[in-house]
Amino acid sequence: MKTAVDLLVLFVGVFLAYIVQEALPPMHDIYGAHIVLIPMVFCYAAVVLPFPAMLAGAVFTGFVVDVLNAHVVGGRIEIPGGASIVYFVIFGCLANGFQPAMKGGNILPFALMSGLGTSGLLLMQFLLITWNRGGFVWETAAGWRILAPGCMAALVAPLFHLTLSHLDRLIPDGSRKKKAVAR
Amino acid sequence: MNKFHIALVVAAIAAAVYVSTLSPAALQTMQAGLLSALSPFLKTGTAVQENIGAVGKRLQTLDELEVENRELQRENRELRAENNLLRDLKQENGRLRMMLDFRERSEFQLVPARIVARDSSTWWNTVRIDRGFEDGVEADQPVLTDSGLVGKTTTVSKNEAIVVLVTDESCRVGARIEGTREQGIVTGFRVQENEAEGLLQMNFLSKNAPIEPGQLVVTAGVVHGSFPPGIPVGKVTEFKRRALDGQAIVEPAVHLAATEDVFVLIEKK
Repeated sequence: MKTAVDLLVLFVGVFLAYIVQEALPPMHDIYGAHIVLIPMVFCYAAVVLPFPAMLAGAVFTGFVVDVLNAHVVGGRIEIPGGASIVYFVIFGCLANGFQPAMKGGNILPFALMSGLGTSGLLLMQFLLITWNRGGFVWETAAGWRILAPGCMAALVAPLFHLTLSHLDRLIPDGSRKKKAVAR
Repeated sequence: MNKFHIALVVAAIAAAVYVSTLSPAALQTMQAGLLSALSPFLKTGTAVQENIGAVGKRLQTLDELEVENRELQRENRELRAENNLLRDLKQENGRLRMMLDFRERSEFQLVPARIVARDSSTWWNTVRIDRGFEDGVEADQPVLTDSGLVGKTTTVSKNEAIVVLVTDESCRVGARIEGTREQGIVTGFRVQENEAEGLLQMNFLSKNAPIEPGQLVVTAGVVHGSFPPGIPVGKVTEFKRRALDGQAIVEPAVHLAATEDVFVLIEKK
């Protein structure tokens, strides 16, 4: 039951993250880099959910990211459908390995993985666009647009964890509540 | 990882392969559906962003507003008079064309739209407008202002549409340089250091073409293309002679970062 609720929270969280990141303006001082929150939300799910539920979350998150980033011009799609699913499956498998650290109360791996996951997703998108359009073009702006969202995600991740662990008490069988009772 | 987990990973990869077989049109339809569903929430977020940004703008004095209002009323009267004159000329032109037995030109209708979100993507220069297929908007229709070309529609949902701007590399516009016979393809640069002042590149020009800075670039109106002829795209700022062709750097006619109201050009059926 708890896993199903957590998975549902992830599904809603992905959409909420999209709405929030759309509402936030780009950081013009950092070459127009955007704040990207979806990989961080998924990363949290990956470090707390059991492996099968994490995979379901990866497929869902990847699919939503693929659909939301479907940029079709002249009948051609720039980022092929399914690419984000593969990315989130691989990223989820790596992040899931840090579950023991998370259970032990160490949120550093979660923060670092959030940053890496966000920058990794943007790097994958950049490479796929480059592959599609041909000719490798590298500008400082591209580097910052890949790195800055990752740094922002790593900084926001502890706050996100703090908020969620407090909200967790509201869920009937919340893990924190159980711990408090056991104590 | 046990066998069950490996089987699950294979199933997830199979799902990815299935999604990769979906046509771009199918993905676009899903995107339109998702945007329609999220639209009320996205509009709220954009409104919050706009309100924060507009705090300074609202501090205009009554005197300033009165002057602005007077100027706008004068401009409105001038435009009405000009419009009446043009309507007469259009009718006269239609009559003359019929006399000469010319094929009637396709007529266009301008649908006014407002930009509700901008800069929402890391890799593409796009904006979202508040008009969708309910208003007659379809994919690949030109979007412009009174100054010139803005871009073209891509994904169209019920009440919103995504517009890819001319400054994006994936938006290709067949254009010509006024006063010459030179035609080329105008696109944006892949990654722009400063999006607000994004320039365009016009490629495939003759390297010995007599192109000077300041010359106007307008759409060429390619057969089966999205853009009708004669829409201003921008002005040439620089002309580079390369080994095989010439490249003009073009400053867009429309200040895209400050534009709020646009028109979608819809062909009357």
